Parts: sequence; structure tokens; C-alpha cells
Amino acid sequence: MRGKFNILWVYAGFFIIFLYGPVLLMPVFALNDGTFATFPLKGFTLKNFAAMAANTSMILAFQNSLKIAVFVAVLSTALAIPAALALTRFRLPGGAAIQSFMMLPLVIPSIVIAVALLVIILKILGIGLSLFTVAAGHVIVCLPFCISVLMSRLEGFDPSLEEASRDLGCGAWTTFWRLTFPLALPGVISSLLMGFIISFDEFVIAFFLTGTETTLPVYLFSQLRFPNKLPGVLALGSLILVGSALLVIAAEVIRKRGVASSNPGDF
Amino acid sequence: MTDTAASDPLAPARDREVLRRRLRGYGLLSPALSVTIAMLALPMAALFLLSFWTQSGFELDRTPTLANYAELVRPSAEPTVWFGIPFHLAYPVPAILMVKSLVMSLMATLAVIALAYPMAYFLAFRVHRHKALWIILITVPFWTSYLLRVFAWKVVLGFNGAINSGLKTLGIIDEPLEFLLYNPGAVVITLAHSWVAFAILPIYVSLEKIDRSLLEAASDLGDSRWQRFRRVTLPLSAPGTVAAALLVFIPTVGDYVTPTLVGGPGGTMIGNLVQDLFLKQNNAPLGAAVAITMMGIIAVLVALFLWAIGYARIRSRRL
Amino acid sequence: MQRIKFIDRMASGRVSRRQMMQAAGAFGVGALVLPRRSVAAEVLTCLEWGGYDSPDYFQPYVAKYGAQPNFSIFAGEEDALAKVLAGFAADVMHPCNYSVARFVNAGVAKEIDTARLSHWADVFPSLQAAEGVVMDGKVVMAPADWGNSSIAYRPDLMPPEFAQNPTWAIFYDEEYAGRVAMTDNEMAIVIGAMVGGMPYDEAYKLEGAALEAAAKEWGTKAVNTAKFLWNDSSEVQQAMASGEIVAAYAWNDLVANLRAEGIPVELAAPKEGMFTWFCGLTLLNTGKADEQAAYDFIDAWLSPETGKALIEGSGYGHANIKAFEIADPQAVANMGITDPVEMMKNTIVFKTPTDAVQEGFNKVWADTKALKY
Repeated sequence: MRGKFNILWVYAGFFIIFLYGPVLLMPVFALNDGTFATFPLKGFTLKNFAAMAANTSMILAFQNSLKIAVFVAVLSTALAIPAALALTRFRLPGGAAIQSFMMLPLVIPSIVIAVALLVIILKILGIGLSLFTVAAGHVIVCLPFCISVLMSRLEGFDPSLEEASRDLGCGAWTTFWRLTFPLALPGVISSLLMGFIISFDEFVIAFFLTGTETTLPVYLFSQLRFPNKLPGVLALGSLILVGSALLVIAAEVIRKRGVASSNPGDF
Repeated sequence: MTDTAASDPLAPARDREVLRRRLRGYGLLSPALSVTIAMLALPMAALFLLSFWTQSGFELDRTPTLANYAELVRPSAEPTVWFGIPFHLAYPVPAILMVKSLVMSLMATLAVIALAYPMAYFLAFRVHRHKALWIILITVPFWTSYLLRVFAWKVVLGFNGAINSGLKTLGIIDEPLEFLLYNPGAVVITLAHSWVAFAILPIYVSLEKIDRSLLEAASDLGDSRWQRFRRVTLPLSAPGTVAAALLVFIPTVGDYVTPTLVGGPGGTMIGNLVQDLFLKQNNAPLGAAVAITMMGIIAVLVALFLWAIGYARIRSRRL
Repeated sequence: MQRIKFIDRMASGRVSRRQMMQAAGAFGVGALVLPRRSVAAEVLTCLEWGGYDSPDYFQPYVAKYGAQPNFSIFAGEEDALAKVLAGFAADVMHPCNYSVARFVNAGVAKEIDTARLSHWADVFPSLQAAEGVVMDGKVVMAPADWGNSSIAYRPDLMPPEFAQNPTWAIFYDEEYAGRVAMTDNEMAIVIGAMVGGMPYDEAYKLEGAALEAAAKEWGTKAVNTAKFLWNDSSEVQQAMASGEIVAAYAWNDLVANLRAEGIPVELAAPKEGMFTWFCGLTLLNTGKADEQAAYDFIDAWLSPETGKALIEGSGYGHANIKAFEIADPQAVANMGITDPVEMMKNTIVFKTPTDAVQEGFNKVWADTKALKY
């Protein structure tokens, strides 16, 4: 038992290094006194963080991305929960076909979705481009991910539990809240996280569907044209990294103290 | 369920019950479905129609034609040889890029699953406290932007990057290794890093819900740890693993940003071609035909894959 | 055991419901905090290159209107055009001399009345009349920023012979394989043809079989020789700074940025010629804002102060002659330019191919890259 235990822990250690190694270079070069990210390092500076703080359009783009990502994660998950329930709990004629159809956005290159949505939103619906159009595009892309995660959680639960609950006189709604939802909770959290990450990081659709307000990935992409702005961008990346890590730890500490939330999905 | 004997006096009631459940099922599906239809059916229909039109300059010719699809398979006596494979096509570019993208995506998917499965297993069975913390820790690097992560990988793999500088400092090499960046290997590493969290989540979710008593039962029946893994854990986690593999494989086929950024001059993928046809070559109809063909090929491959591993059986066994 | 788990889950069910309420609350909040789409249609909307949305470049406009215009960022003229053609209502767009024709031909550009631009008289005369600024006798673009495309190289890493006789041939020479970076652009074929002895005036409008032959020979060589084909300045400058590549197709900003970091770099004057590109502002007929605001924005871009900011900040040239008088002479020297008028005469100014030629080039370049593995 011991041996395997250790191997997995060692693996987990390496995995975390693989995962974090590259991104930890961001703070390193954000604090480095040079435009270009090359070794050897040139010296310590905080000027990049000052430059970042002064860059209002970048901060604005960051806020836009956060808003969109939260909105998209919640909306996609809210849509995905009933859909995943229906696809796993009910033997529906045509269920497989409907499922395949909803998975379609995975197969379509995002450039195609982006251009098609652009034309439809502007020409057919006549709506102006805004953060809402970006969010709408993101929901379409996130839905298949959320449904998949939730389905793999919901599949294979003993349906007799739900039957038992109903036999005991609980209504469908009570059964859902008291039984199904708690059972699905890890899936719900995963789904929220996935939706958040995908939307927060999505570039191609956002690129085409943003109007005059931009999202962070689109903004960062535009900054690549000016290499001397890159260290400021790295500074923001580092802050996001440190900030989100702190948030996670804080959430865990609060949870351990027994205060309400045990749901790490909502910040 | 449907083989109810006609003589069964309860049959009508049961049929009503079935109907009621179906209606509820469709009801639950309808919000997600209507959103998908509203936002997807229209673009898809447009794409489909477009692929039967032609374009010259900025003008669309709306006469229906199969010319775009014919162009993709028009044979040529003189084969274009790519990577030792002869393509007997007059316009071999889409076919070559399709093969290239599929291979690249397949390699990335294998790498992702190989990396993610042990980690998901670790999370599900070895981590007993702070589980949520661990899961979120895995996703935190993805909250920084994708472009920044690609940039970071370039710094890791680059000429005076982290690996080369480290090895030089340690005296292992004198000259920087140049084969780290700008090749397919770099694309696979970067893609694997980008997608690994998306794979861990579904695998973890399916491992987590395995009833621990099943594992205990297997041990009680004398299974070794490996046997237990092979006969209980692996089959029960298969749906999540398959879902993870598909969630990675399908979108990476069409991804074109990563290969362009770290793949060097050979980093062109099928997604680049679609973009190029739509935006630069003023040939959106051909781009639509390429996109639809690509979607069709992926769908067929996924169906074949699921059929080969007996996905339906895996699922039904568990219900 | 099973029962305890069940009770446990029921208990956590209560917690979760509260969380669900929170989540629902967050959803509502999300809908509220997501900014409404701008109702003020009269605000000027500019389609702009990423990074050019900095107020340094249109200070007089900000001074007059008290606010910045709205920007929509694009990465290439193609996606900007796609957006406009899809119906995006932009007032001003920032194309370059080799791409403005696409906007004119697509029917979204309108003529600029130069009398309404106070700084027009100070624009380099050669730019005022340049192809791309004037089309069919109408001014369709007010030139603003310009620069060179040439070979930037590391004198410490390149053989000294190159400095004496710089040539574009290195991008097609196996000896330099994996040590140079070409731009990810059909220019790789045009320049190849020039290395092969064809003058630019013929090379830029290659068509049909001749184009395919040039792509097969020079395009393939370029793709095989390059370490990578660059798409953004950061990529090529980073690689050049680290020594990963020793020479690259580059713009002036590379030289300015690397020198600022103390890295030795030179902009060569290759024997086949160095190029000059210029970009500017085009009025679009899709806009909803007051036309005067668009003119004010363009005029702000042409002001010498904008030129000074551009020259000192990014190492690009500016269309206003006076900008070179007020800019830091060191910054001007860093661009490798002593006499802008003279320089423009001695370089090849990019020309605008017809749409059909451009599409042909785009196609063969995409196809050439596809065959590389």
C-alpha cells in the first residue's frame, strides 16, 4: 500500500511542477528589469506593476472578462443541469440525436462559429456588438463541456434512490434539491469551473463578437504588437495568478472554520 | 420497457406514465436545446447553404453547386507527396492539413489522458482532505490568459529559455538545444498543458462516484490491486475518460492558434485553412465546405471510436 | 455505512440549496453588472490596430471632445473588413497602403476632403500623392504612420560579410536554416522572386503559372529556411533578443526596442532594396457618428505631437514633416533614418496589387505553408 501511495504523490508533485512551472515564469519576468523575457535575469524592478496599474484599458478588459466568465459559467451550468438530467434519467426517443446536436459546437472550428454568429447578430438580428454578444457566443461553446461533465457525474447513480425519495412522499422539486442536486454537486462545481475557464480564456469568438469593449484575451493579443508593453501584461498575469491562488486558499480557510460555504465554485 | 404484454391491465397506465416522463424529460432539455438551436442551428444552416454557393471577389453566386466539395476530391494523376504519403488530388492542401491536424490532435489527446488519468486517480483516491482545494489548484494556472501561457512555454523551451539556461548552468550542455521549440513536439506539449485541466475534471468526477464498497468487495474476493483497478476502477471510470478524450480531441482538431505560435513554419493546421479561406482568400464557400467536411470526418471518427470501444455497452452496464 | 453517507448528503443538501440561491443571485447580478450596449450612437467608433488605441496618438481629439472615441481592435485588415462587411458600424478605420484598396473595392470607404484637415499641408508631399492615398483621383486614406520593412540582424552573431553586402537571399539559403525568421506573409514569395532577379514592380503582381512557380521555388525555400514565420512583433523581437534567430524580416520598432535594451542590432539596406509601408486613416461610410468627429480624429492623428509620440514611443515614422523636427533626434537616429524625404525616395514603397492578385498570393502562400510538416 505504502509504495503506490508514494508513487502517486511523487507523480502529483511532478504534475504540479509541469502545470505551474511555465506560468510561474510570469511573475519572474514581471519583476525582471528588461523588456524581453530572456535569461540571465537583469535585475529586480516593480515598474512593470506600476505600468500595469496605470493601464486603465487593460484593467477594464480584465473586468469585462471576469464579468463575462462569471455570467457564462452560471448560465451554461444552469442550462446544462436540466439537460444532463434529462439525458441521463429519461429514456427519450431521439435523445442521442439531441445530445449529438448539442455537442456540435465542439466540432465546429471556432472561427466558423464566430463569423457565422457575427453575420447573424449584425445582419439578421440587427443587434449591436457588445459584451452580451460575446457572452452569448461563449455560452454556446461552454454548453457541451458543462453537459458532458454533468452527465459523467449523473450517469450511473442508482435511480432507485430517487424513486425511494418519491415513494417517501417527496415531490419532484424536493427530490431534486435534497437528493439529485447534492449528488450532482461535484459535477456542478466542475461545470462552473470549466465554463469560467473556457469563457475567461476564449479568444477567437471574443475577437469577432466584441464591439468597442474588449475582453482580456483580445486585449492581450493586441498588445503583442508592442513588445515593450509585454512586461506590464506579464505583471497582470502574475497578479491574476497570485490573486486567484490567494482566493482559493482564503476560501478553503473560511470553509474549514465552518462558515457557510463548502462550495469552492462560488467566489 | 416496451415489451409489455397487451393483456396487461396496467399497460395503459404505464404508457401514460412513460409519456409523462418523456414530456418531463423534453421539458428539462428544452432550455439548453432552444439556446443551442437559436444560436447554432442558424449559423449551421447558413454554413451549410454557403458551402453550395460560390464566391468571386466580394460577390456571392447563389446558384447551388457541388463545385466546392468536388474541388476537395478532384483527382490528379500526379500525386503530391507529403510526409511519404502520396495524395492523388489536384488540390491536396485540405486533405493534407486534415491528416496533419488529426495526427497532432490525437497525439495531444493521448498525452493529455496519460497525464490526467493518474492525477485524477490521485485526487479521487489519495486526497482525503482539501479535495476542492486541490481541484481548484489544478485550474488556477488556466485563469491566466492562454496567450500568456503560450508565451510562457516559449520562454521555457526557447533558445535562452528556462530549460536551456538551466542545463547550461548545470554544465550539462554548452550550446542551447534548438530542437525544443518550433516543432510538433512543442505543439503537443503546449496543447497538453492547455487542455489537461479539461480532462482531469471529467475523469475525476467519474472516479469519485465509484462506490467504494465495490472496491472493497473486489479486494475481499481476492483481487490484487492491479486486478481490482483493471476490473473495477478502469471500466467504471471509462465514461469519464472517454468524455475527457473527446472533449480534448474534438476541439484541438480545429485549433489553429497554438500550432501557429509554437509550431514553427510547419504549424499550419486545418483551422488556419478555414480562416484563410474565409478572410484572406475571399472564398468563404470553399471554407464552409472544408469546415463541413472536417466536421463530418470528426463525427465519423468519433462514432467509429465509440463503436470500437463499445461505449453503449459501458453505459448501459452501469444503469 | 450507506445510510450514513445518505444522511450526510442530505445534510449537505441544505447547504447546497443556500449556495444555489447565492449562485442564482450571482446570475442576476451578472446580468445587471454586464454593461449595457452603448446607446450613444454619436460616439465615434474606430477600427484600430491593437495598441494604437492609446490616447498619445490622438491627444487633440481628446482635448476637444473630453473623451476617447470607442475602439474596436483588429489584428489584420481582413478581419476588420469582415466585421465591417457583416454590418459593424465603424466610422474610421486604419488600413495600410497595400490594403486600403480592399476597403474601397468592397464599397465601404468614402472620399476624404483634405481641406477639412488642418495638418494636411505638413504631410510629406510624396505621401500626399502616393498610390493608396489617392485612388482614381480621390483621397481615400490620410497617411499617418509609416516605416520600413527590411532585414534586422545581430551584428555580433552574423558573419561580417553580411554587413558589407546585405541581401534578402539569407531567407532562402540553407546555410541559415533555423536561424532566421520571415514574416508570415506572401511577401516571402515576392522577395524571393526579387532575389531571383525580378524587379519589385513585376514581382508584386505575379499571377497564374508564374506565381505558382515562384511560390513553389521561393515560398518553399522560405518556409524551409525559417525558424518560424512571425505574426506579431513580440514574437520576433523576443527571439532576436534571445539569439534564437540572428536575422529577421522586421520593422523599425524592432531596432528601437532592442537597442533600448542594449542589444546590438542593425537594420540592413539589402541590395535588392528595402521597403517602405505606410498606413493611415480611412473614412468609412458605415459610421453613425458625426462626420466632423471623424475628421477631428484623423486630424489629431496627423498632428506633429502624435508623430513625436509615435517616433519616440514605437520607433515608427510619421506622415507629418514637422514631427521629425520636434521629436528626439536620438529616437529618429535609432530608426535608422536621417533624412525621411531622401529615405522614402531610396526605398521601395509597397504597392497595392489588385484584389485578384492579392487573393492569388494569399492562396499560394497558404498552400505552400500547408505542405511543410
